[in-house]
Amino acid sequence: MSTLVIKNLHVSVGSKEILKGVNLTINDNETLALLGPNGHGKSTLLAAIMGNPNYTVTDGSITLDGEDVLAMSVDKRSKAGLFLAMQYPAEIPGVNSADFLKASMNAHREKPMSLFEFYRSVEKAYKDMGIPFEMSTRNLNEGFSGGEKKRNEILQMKLLKPKFALLDEIDSGLDVDAMQIVAQAIREEQAAGRGFLVISHYARLYDMISPTRSAVMVNGKIAVEGGPEIITKIDTKGYEWIKEELGIEIEKDEKPMSQQSIGICATHEATKGK
Amino acid sequence: MNISLVDKEIKDMELTVKAGDSLVLNLAAFDTFPTAKIRILVEKDGHVNASFADFSRGKGKFVIDVELLEEGAECNWNLSSLARENDDKVVDASVLHVAKHTTAEMNNYGITRDQSRLVFTGVSRINNGAKSSSTRQSAKIIVFDPNSDGRCSPSLCIDENDVQASHAAIVGRLNENHLFYLQSRGISEENAKRLITLGYLKPIEQYFKDEDLLKRIDNAIEEGI
Repeated sequence: MSTLVIKNLHVSVGSKEILKGVNLTINDNETLALLGPNGHGKSTLLAAIMGNPNYTVTDGSITLDGEDVLAMSVDKRSKAGLFLAMQYPAEIPGVNSADFLKASMNAHREKPMSLFEFYRSVEKAYKDMGIPFEMSTRNLNEGFSGGEKKRNEILQMKLLKPKFALLDEIDSGLDVDAMQIVAQAIREEQAAGRGFLVISHYARLYDMISPTRSAVMVNGKIAVEGGPEIITKIDTKGYEWIKEELGIEIEKDEKPMSQQSIGICATHEATKGK
Repeated sequence: MNISLVDKEIKDMELTVKAGDSLVLNLAAFDTFPTAKIRILVEKDGHVNASFADFSRGKGKFVIDVELLEEGAECNWNLSSLARENDDKVVDASVLHVAKHTTAEMNNYGITRDQSRLVFTGVSRINNGAKSSSTRQSAKIIVFDPNSDGRCSPSLCIDENDVQASHAAIVGRLNENHLFYLQSRGISEENAKRLITLGYLKPIEQYFKDEDLLKRIDNAIEEGI
């Protein structure tokens, strides 16, 4: 059994603190739906777990089966069993998809795999994800549509078999058919015992993958944890009930003056909501 | 006409591509950087495909000058260059459009590491009267280390209205997001850099047909990264 434990996590981007003491525990065989209004730190949490250099952990801890994740380099985190399907996967010019997959699959094993074994598993994964196998000869994510990039993320998850998969809005940019394929792949991995931490704004994906738990992130902290019923509640009522029931004021994103553009009344924008 | 020149064979020369002929020029340097000037004159409907795989060491300036003298003349130039340690290399790839309906595409790719310096210059010039000509230039250098120096200064000089011309120059460090993406899949930083470098240098191989030379280029890429 594997456990990912996040304790009192504080994370800043530049000088701005985004996460202000997150506590969360996920076990394998669990799928946790991470909900919350935009700009409250959901993606930041996932990026910090994976070790994105743009996010600075200022306090707290992340451990995977007792091992200190924060002490690991990004590639070590992957090898330890963490996987992040990114909201905006990078397009990497000049790096061939097949070369990339081979390098990444080999990084996860003691001995490099044989060409035959590699070819067979990759071809199957492409087929399962409904991506033409010819796309393995193209540069990584370059010229892929939004939906193809997202499917390509799940394809990598299938090949790398992580203990915990963190999915950041995997359903955005997917059409109905692609959504079915992605959900099917997630269900298969759930059955294989992997833990999931899933961010989505839509109940549709959650309906397809049946999370076992849910948590709501507000103001950089976990405001509520519970069962999947919270997803339905948010889908029908929005987030206002959090304020009413828990007395938590939901902070609005404030834009600094420098982000105002011509044609917008800057004074109005700056004083809005005050 | 196929010409393949390696190391010391690359020296000052002038080549003429006769009307209707085509020239494939393959240059490869592994030892010392060739300080040389190659001038190519292209006559009516002549084609030039010139490529340079440069993994050599040292200081100097290499110049290639292509003159598209008559209608329909065409030139494609591709360079991949790797500079490391104390290398100080300048590559000047220039093209002159004299006649109507002439086409040129000049691509320079480079990587500069350690304390080396790599400079791409070159002028694409379209003379008055060379109507319906098209010229494209692109130069891209990845600067690997804090002390490496890469510069691109391609320029366009156009004295005719009815033409198509474009140029692009990019000099930059390795993209942090690219590195993060590759590392997040378990690939070490070193290996991630290797993959990105490979993506920069490897494409030059498509222009080479000679098996032995290809093998040498492949080895040079592997050794260099």
